[in-house]
Amino acid sequence: MERVFEMDVQIHELVGAVHEAAWLPWAVQYFFLIAMSVTALLMSLPGFVFGREAALPKARLALMVAVTTGITAPIALLADLHQPGRFWEFFVYTHKTSWMAWGAWVVPSYVGLLILFAWAIHRPAFYRWGQQDWRFAWLFRLLSLGGEANWFARPLGMAAGVAALAILVYTGMEVTIVRARPLWNTPFLPLQFAATGFVGALGAMLVLERVLSRDGALEARLNRNLAAALAVVGALGLAWFALASSGLSPRHAEALASVAGFPVWQKIATWGALSIAVPFVLALVLPRNSGWVTGLIAIHAAWMFRWTVFMGGQAVPKVGSGLYDALMPTGIAGLMGVIGTFGLWLFLIIAYTTFIPWAEAGQPDDGRGAKAPGHPVRSV
Amino acid sequence: MDTNRRGFLGAMGRVSIGAAATVAGAGQSATAATDPDHRTHWGMVVDLRKCIGCQACTVACIMENDVPEDAFRTHVSVYELVKDGQDPAMVMLPRLCNHCDNPPCLPVCPVEATFKAENGEVLVDASKCVGCAYCVQACPYDARFINHETQVADKCTFCFHRTSVGLLPACVETCVGGARNFGDLNDPDSEVSRMLRENEVSVLRPEMHTNPNVYYIGLDEVLDGRVAGEAAYRPPLTGEAQATHGEGL
Repeated sequence: MERVFEMDVQIHELVGAVHEAAWLPWAVQYFFLIAMSVTALLMSLPGFVFGREAALPKARLALMVAVTTGITAPIALLADLHQPGRFWEFFVYTHKTSWMAWGAWVVPSYVGLLILFAWAIHRPAFYRWGQQDWRFAWLFRLLSLGGEANWFARPLGMAAGVAALAILVYTGMEVTIVRARPLWNTPFLPLQFAATGFVGALGAMLVLERVLSRDGALEARLNRNLAAALAVVGALGLAWFALASSGLSPRHAEALASVAGFPVWQKIATWGALSIAVPFVLALVLPRNSGWVTGLIAIHAAWMFRWTVFMGGQAVPKVGSGLYDALMPTGIAGLMGVIGTFGLWLFLIIAYTTFIPWAEAGQPDDGRGAKAPGHPVRSV
Repeated sequence: MDTNRRGFLGAMGRVSIGAAATVAGAGQSATAATDPDHRTHWGMVVDLRKCIGCQACTVACIMENDVPEDAFRTHVSVYELVKDGQDPAMVMLPRLCNHCDNPPCLPVCPVEATFKAENGEVLVDASKCVGCAYCVQACPYDARFINHETQVADKCTFCFHRTSVGLLPACVETCVGGARNFGDLNDPDSEVSRMLRENEVSVLRPEMHTNPNVYYIGLDEVLDGRVAGEAAYRPPLTGEAQATHGEGL
């Protein structure tokens, strides 16, 4: 808690210990990718689960983002453990008071349901591709498990949606409850994680739309969605700042006080505001042919928010003075996690667009939904 | 158990004279020794008036516990304080795990590797710890770290391996000025209990409500939280910020 001392006091720290960041850039990658995955999954539901035919083009891109980030995220999480070989202990010694312990159950549940849902959505196309006479037909016969029924996709999608909400709750709460880090210990943080997750997912969908579909109407629609998500992020940011600077919320005030005096943080705040404002204006004014720019800035904004929260938060000493190194690490070692996970994500996107009949994905055939398109678009 | 090195050496003398006495029992008061229900609750009282910032405790801890080069289980922060334009004063502040009775590091541990031992020590089961570092984040005293040789969470144990055989923690035993005092807070006759009764004491970060078991005599309130001053260390890319930072003042 910030206190005001009446007397004039000057303190110079002559000897102090420097603490390195214990959560590494791998953690930034995990929280970035998993938030994109769950928000993308939620955006795929109107098209695939709730019967909105017009939402199908968006849902296909959303599911692609959800699956590729959803597979990459847990790998980043595992890499952030200093004893990754002991991950099984999470399931044997679950400590009920720890949000992380609950997360250990929620994450595999979500990823499992997500993959099952994606498989169910694509099963009819797997089957069709398996029936044709071509080189990889055997692979698709294998993937279809010998049938094309996918009536179960809807309940699977809804279950994955519930798990996605559980991920948003646990990732937000896991960080928010850490009282020792004022920058994390703010009630708004879970909402900010969710809102910036939507921004990142829409950014990735915009970039993929430009690469794969080049459908102007879809681009405009995604840009409108992005503008809405950015407006929410901006509103949350303004409310955060208003609560902190007015002192209405002591926790927010403490968070602001912990970083406000540092010029580097003032630059970060300006940078963050621009990363929201620029794509917001572009998406509104130029909804077509701006997808590359708005998409990439949106991905950047979602990533940077997490880097600032996690690495920046760990750069603030709990008892010592000044700042530690975590915010701006020097050297390539810390960035290897970032480069590695982005590389894996890119690989998975290439694999997904090459081997998965994503463009044929339609609504599940349970007797009331629409069928998939009649003309296969094979990319292999 | 005796409170500091001088008292402990005296106790050792008594042990060598009285063959029936054990080292562990040497310092325990008669009240505590005769009560079958008595449970020891270890605590430390640091008399800052006696600390000279020699870092002997820092070195003793490193040697005793094989602490890796890039970390500390305990160290002494040193500050220069200038109040109302008066002459600068050098102030020492030994820091270590506070072995809180309400430790924030404990509930966050996902695999129950962190636990509160019978005598109040907050310990880590290194064979169980997954190295997630959630406890490192939750500790409000920056008293935990990931040991890069063992890849698990590491911290002060109050020298559990020594106290369980009747020895003082290494930092207490080596303290040159007798600033670090260690003993049973549940024993009203122990030196630490007496010090708590007879002195005005304070704890670090009282606003966190962690109920620490490390107490300080003579702690200036400007140092009991995050110290808002010019730092000794300036990271290459953010160092410019230090001079103008006035948080908390």
